[in-house]
Amino acid sequence: MAGTGLAWRSSSRPLLCRWDLDKTYLRSEFDTLRQLWRTAWERGEDKVAMPGVPEVVKALKTAADRHGAPIATYFVSASPPQIGKAIRDKLALDGVPYDGITFKNQLEHLKRGKFRNLREHVGFKLGELLRGRRLVSGAADELLFGDDWESDPLTYSLYADVVAGVLPAEGLGTLLRRIGVDPLVVPQLVALAAEVRPGGRVERIFINLARRSPPASLRVFGPRLAPTFNYFQTALVLGGMGHLDPPDVAAVGDALVRQHGYSGRRLANSLEDLVRRGLLTPHVARRVTSALRRAQLLVPADRPRALERLRDWGRDIRLRRRPASGVPALDYARIFEAFPNLARTRATEGKP
Amino acid sequence: MTGVPTIALDVTGGAASRPDLVKAAAQISTTTSIDCLLVGSEGPIQAVLDELEYNPEQLSVLACNGDAETPLAAGLRAVSTGRADAMVSAASAQACITACSRALALVPGVRKPALAAVFPRQTEYPGQDRFAMLLDVGASSRASAPELVQYALMGAVYARRVSKIAAPRIGLLAMGHDTVRHDDVLAAANTALAAHPGLTYVGEVEGHELVRGRVDVIVCEGVMGSVAAGLIDGLTSALVDVARAAGEQRLVWRVGMRLLSEGIERVQALTDYRHYGGAPILGFERVFITCRAGADAQALVNAIKLAAKAVRDGVADGIAAALRGPTGA
Repeated sequence: MAGTGLAWRSSSRPLLCRWDLDKTYLRSEFDTLRQLWRTAWERGEDKVAMPGVPEVVKALKTAADRHGAPIATYFVSASPPQIGKAIRDKLALDGVPYDGITFKNQLEHLKRGKFRNLREHVGFKLGELLRGRRLVSGAADELLFGDDWESDPLTYSLYADVVAGVLPAEGLGTLLRRIGVDPLVVPQLVALAAEVRPGGRVERIFINLARRSPPASLRVFGPRLAPTFNYFQTALVLGGMGHLDPPDVAAVGDALVRQHGYSGRRLANSLEDLVRRGLLTPHVARRVTSALRRAQLLVPADRPRALERLRDWGRDIRLRRRPASGVPALDYARIFEAFPNLARTRATEGKP
Repeated sequence: MTGVPTIALDVTGGAASRPDLVKAAAQISTTTSIDCLLVGSEGPIQAVLDELEYNPEQLSVLACNGDAETPLAAGLRAVSTGRADAMVSAASAQACITACSRALALVPGVRKPALAAVFPRQTEYPGQDRFAMLLDVGASSRASAPELVQYALMGAVYARRVSKIAAPRIGLLAMGHDTVRHDDVLAAANTALAAHPGLTYVGEVEGHELVRGRVDVIVCEGVMGSVAAGLIDGLTSALVDVARAAGEQRLVWRVGMRLLSEGIERVQALTDYRHYGGAPILGFERVFITCRAGADAQALVNAIKLAAKAVRDGVADGIAAALRGPTGA
């Protein structure tokens, strides 16, 4: 599913971008109770965005507007609505355009004594994604952005399979029970899944490797999921998919250099890593590299040697042959095997 | 060198691709600010990286399948053209010296490069470096008196800049303190070293004094250094083997070994080559660190750190300054 070029995507379907907040957009630190307490009381100006992420959100909107393509941006957060003001302030400070934001009503779970639900996010996020889907046209394409801290790869994959119509509502129910989603919530989610109109698709799931998880560990989620180590890499993949133009990608790189101490060398290394991992074709890499050089973010390089050009050509051909869509449903049994902490109960025989 | 040093790493170690070398680079990328340039076959390197925690911002790959150019030669080309600041390799020392001689320029004034060996020794005072340096240990077999003096200057610069020894004490490996037993080269070197104003020369050093704390840098001809370094190495592993064999033979000895195990482990930890990782080849305009063929990921990590430190501390510049005059280094 590597992009084949930097031409603007041919699809005229609306684009829906949905972002997780903590550890995806915000550099949230709440591994200890102390940090959690501090996070709860932070003001908008105290919150710190992941390097380059505001520029990616803005670039997606700017590029879509430039090409006259409809786009909507939503944030879904498992944080309580009580910190909503600080988050809205932060997004305003960053100048990030968005169409909506939802929070998890943790207080409600506390009132009902559902303490386990405080940390169970799959049901909450899937519900919000499915509800959000009801508001857009059936043919909308989606981009999902999460991180490797909790269950974003699983939640987003379940949702993507439902939207693609390859995971039937009943199968979803079985999986949700296995994951340990509140049994009272499962029927609601199954009903929401049954309402999803056909024709849409989740084009890509971006997982920010905030924990530096080995990329191979996420291979069970299939090629639809793109693990990226920084938001320059995310921008590059988006460029390869035709959602950003080369100057947009360069703008993200520029922000990393100017605001976060990145060097041209580190941008180049990030780009090369994507090519080696097959997430970007050498053709796209060359075009972006030219834009980065024009922006004086990279130093001019020697012309690649004949052997390197031949290797890149072969890689381009291989990556272009990969199917860009029509991904079959994931093997969730394998996913639970690879991530035992994601499943709370054993699989029922003969069921997914 | 400005900013963060980039260290080229031959991930083949002179033979087949070695995952532990890639692991070392991955560890460096997540725990330090050092950039690594991995030289070897791209596919196998990425296959190993995919299974590890790594920071791609600090890692780049110089694809080299070894058909047209060895990874060692390709890495040194990257160093000589400025793409990397130094190189680390676990290929054989002789292969490293030959490749360096072809690819890198000598520091102006240096007659011959010297291969150093770092080995554990007794310490005489608190805070003394636990390791001493012996050079040359085989870059060339013979050396003239002026060359031995240059080895001393290069070793002193390294000890001063990397090991942070303010006035490293220099010794000349010899058969004894009696100058009558010296050949012409040793006699001339002894006189020249004693007269050199930029060196703290303590005189001749006999074999048994190598592992004492009297000197920080010992200079000798390559043949003698190679034998001495091999002997120190061999003795260490032989002692471990003997102790293990003894433990297997008699129950009483096994119990004794068990009682001593904590102390033995401490000695092993103190003398573990993995702590220093590798040894430099001195005399070239760029830093090159050789590692043992069997060096594991931890040794490699320390060798990469050592290379970065040598770059930051300007070892090559220090050598050039030392050769220019007594106050230069």
